[in-house]
Amino acid sequence: MRIPDSSFDAIVIGGGHNGLVAAAYLGKAGRRVLLLEASPRLGGALATDEISPDYRISTGAHLLDAMPRQIEKDLKLAKHGLRYAARRVPTIALDRDKQHIVFSTRRSDLEILRRHSAADAEAYVVHLARMKAYAALLTPLITEALPSAGMEQLRATLRKLVWSAELMGSASLESFMRQLPGSIGDLLDDVFETPLLKGALALDTLLGSREGPYAAGTTLSAVYRGGLRDASTGPRMIEGGLGAFIDALAAAAASFGVIIRTSAAVKRILIEEGAAKGIETEQGEIFEAPLVLSSAHPRATMLGMVGPRHLDAGLTKRLFHIADSGSTAKLNLALDGLPTIQGLAPVDYGARLLVAPSLQSLDEAFARFKHDDFSSDLAMEITIPSVNDAPLAPPGQHVMSIVVQYVPYEAAGGWEENRDRLIDRIVETLSIYAPDIKQRIVAGELMLPPDIERKFGLPGGNWYHGDMELDQLLMFRPAPELARYRTPLKGLYLCGTGSHPGGGISGLPGQLAARAAMKDRGRA
Amino acid sequence: MSDDTDILLLTDELPLEPATANSQRIDLAAQDEAARADPLLFERAAEEPPFARAVLTTPLHLNVATESRTNLWTQWNGYTTPHILTNLEDEYRALRHAAALSDVSPLIKYRITGLDAAAYLTRLVTGNLVSLSVNESTPVAFCEDRGLVVGDGLLFRLGENEYRLVTETPHLSWLLDSAIGMRVRVEDVTSTLAVISLQGPLSCSILHEAGLAAIQTLRPYAGHWFDVLGMPVYVSRTGNSGDLGYELWIDPEDAPSLWIKLIEIGSPFGMSAGGFALRELARVEAGLPRAGVDYLGAFAAVDPAHASTPFELGFASLVDLDREHFTGRGALRAVRSVPPRHILASMAIDWHESLQFAAIRDARGVAGIATSLAFSPSLGLNLALATLKSSAINGETAFYVEAEVKRELDLSLRKAPARIIAGPALALPARHLVPAPIIQRR
Repeated sequence: MRIPDSSFDAIVIGGGHNGLVAAAYLGKAGRRVLLLEASPRLGGALATDEISPDYRISTGAHLLDAMPRQIEKDLKLAKHGLRYAARRVPTIALDRDKQHIVFSTRRSDLEILRRHSAADAEAYVVHLARMKAYAALLTPLITEALPSAGMEQLRATLRKLVWSAELMGSASLESFMRQLPGSIGDLLDDVFETPLLKGALALDTLLGSREGPYAAGTTLSAVYRGGLRDASTGPRMIEGGLGAFIDALAAAAASFGVIIRTSAAVKRILIEEGAAKGIETEQGEIFEAPLVLSSAHPRATMLGMVGPRHLDAGLTKRLFHIADSGSTAKLNLALDGLPTIQGLAPVDYGARLLVAPSLQSLDEAFARFKHDDFSSDLAMEITIPSVNDAPLAPPGQHVMSIVVQYVPYEAAGGWEENRDRLIDRIVETLSIYAPDIKQRIVAGELMLPPDIERKFGLPGGNWYHGDMELDQLLMFRPAPELARYRTPLKGLYLCGTGSHPGGGISGLPGQLAARAAMKDRGRA
Repeated sequence: MSDDTDILLLTDELPLEPATANSQRIDLAAQDEAARADPLLFERAAEEPPFARAVLTTPLHLNVATESRTNLWTQWNGYTTPHILTNLEDEYRALRHAAALSDVSPLIKYRITGLDAAAYLTRLVTGNLVSLSVNESTPVAFCEDRGLVVGDGLLFRLGENEYRLVTETPHLSWLLDSAIGMRVRVEDVTSTLAVISLQGPLSCSILHEAGLAAIQTLRPYAGHWFDVLGMPVYVSRTGNSGDLGYELWIDPEDAPSLWIKLIEIGSPFGMSAGGFALRELARVEAGLPRAGVDYLGAFAAVDPAHASTPFELGFASLVDLDREHFTGRGALRAVRSVPPRHILASMAIDWHESLQFAAIRDARGVAGIATSLAFSPSLGLNLALATLKSSAINGETAFYVEAEVKRELDLSLRKAPARIIAGPALALPARHLVPAPIIQRR
């Protein structure tokens, strides 16, 4: 596409979902926006690809888990082609003895849990309510831009937090304060006795992270993720895979006048007198705008595109040390028929299936992962998207998407040696639940953390542009000076998943950064 | 000794086998034979690992020890350094009336090179380096992100892309952190570069006598390579005595020869060697704060309130807020118009003999803390560098100190009036003179 003019109101770097959301909001507010994406295709890790002729699948992320309704409405995504194949996708923990546990409080589902443990069935209802109440405390911090780092605002926010916590009653407040810094493993051990239930609930907290189930602070992660999830309407599957979601976002952005260019990598952000003035592409083109929003990794943006000489050395160092190597692999399979998962009701094949037999097996997998190895007892999140969205595969056939937790970025002895061993392990583990899986596989594609890094531009293969751990959340995300989307450079904003509230596919960093940029610009 | 005994005891109890014992005696011929067969035996021993040794000596240690009449030593950055060589009064007299020679090799020295060296330093220090040309030096301060001073020092430009930063305390980790993303190499050359300081009114005359042609034309803060007895020596007109003075930067292997030569030539001029106490006295007279003593670096202070901005340390002239970015610029711009929390000041205490005290008092109580004390023989005053609470400074405040004066078993408390002095207590005009004064030896 030819660009008639080289001057814009705003330039958005990166065409992942957060970049698109930011650009769309800016466009919707009447700004002239240019969006530049380095790779030939928009979407980053949200992509639908053919893994074998006529078998299409979301190659990266496979569920839309945390996007608030409001963004969908504001951007009129339905009008631009967004169709859900399934809403509120249920979560089911797969059991080796065919007594699969559905994460729900419906009486029939609790009945199965009762078969594992009557006490757990009671405790589960209470546990869910308690986690929801905890998450509700954090929700205002998650869906809004954070208060500025100033002591006064911070104090006001904390005071508000404490007040609303006190409303829960002093006993709950006490348990909240006691449990929050602890580990999810200890918490679950306290509450439940069924190993499968504990394992699966912990996996829900730990997916994509590099922490073990007994790591301090993982309870906060659980509550935080719960808060993000509660801000949306539960996990959803998109018709046509997540690539179609990106298509809808791009169409929405275009309808607001956003000019989108792919294969346009930004070489540097132009800085004049401490303010962003525009960008220069790798091809040498220069585009000017008083607002530049980058959804790229904070390190790539600040160290690569801005350059250390425009930044303080302490900030440079903190960015340089953002911890972000990945912990997951993705296996996409084409199947010539629906595998039989023993004991699973036919309606539940479209669910989100978790494989995590116990906390011990998770902890063991984590220990292996720490030493650049993977466990023989793998923890997995599985979906069979074609159950809800038949056109993804030829009639009667299916695609299966598997996220494998605790796969190291580098394997001891190299991935060359270990890649096939990992595939065998995954298929072996699957066959415990679906004995016919081996015969069904037509084609497959395994993406290790380095592949995820290369293919989707996610440094280290980490989903979140920096771990979602206690020291990299809220006003510390991605670094104290860069929280609240603003940077020390006037006119430059960070709008990617590296910014608050972080990962999960929420679009919130994009929305909130666009709002912050327009607020500052309006004032100036 | 005890080791020996242990071995003896052990061998006592073992049945001796004379034949084998003899055959185990060192057989030189056999070893030579072995060496011929196995050259590995002659390989140099592995080098000492870094930081293996805590007590270091400078390349000039033996020469300096020769000058010592007191055996009073102290340590400076881990190096054994003379505290007083003869006596402080004599050393001081030589410094202010002739010249004093001292070994300042323990100064921390960093070599900074690379394509981005200039850009790196531009971001590191608070001052403007645009006018720093090759063979010149300039005092610099450097801050962290909050605008608090990490350290200060002297920056030499030795080549287009080669610099030397000389500081009082080590800063390697901060220098390396600041190098992230820059094509620059930072190395600590403290132990591989010896430095001899020659300060005093006759210092130029002595160097001239030593054959350093046109040394008198060297401008303050400038440096130049000279050839002394076939040894390359980099001479800079720098030092912290507040007077004319030079520092000579030389290879450690050559340093002893240069020292001997300077002692030989300088002695007839009345020059003497000086220790660390003299250096401290001279810098307090010159009003120069020392990092780690008079102020805490940003990373050394546990409480950020005890670290200082350059404005609080009197380094305002080392800061240029209107130039391109440097670390701490944003923070310093924000505090530019805010009154300082405390200030570092030179103070004079009118008393005829050396006093010991820490608290600077005013009518309301303790107004500040004195961190360096010195009795200046030339001024007949006690001098101090003190950090004063900004609330105590309003022009009219009368300060005093309460000193404990001990005479054998007699202890008395003395109240002595103290006042802030603007600028250095002792500033000798010769430090600016170009050409520097030369006095021919009579």
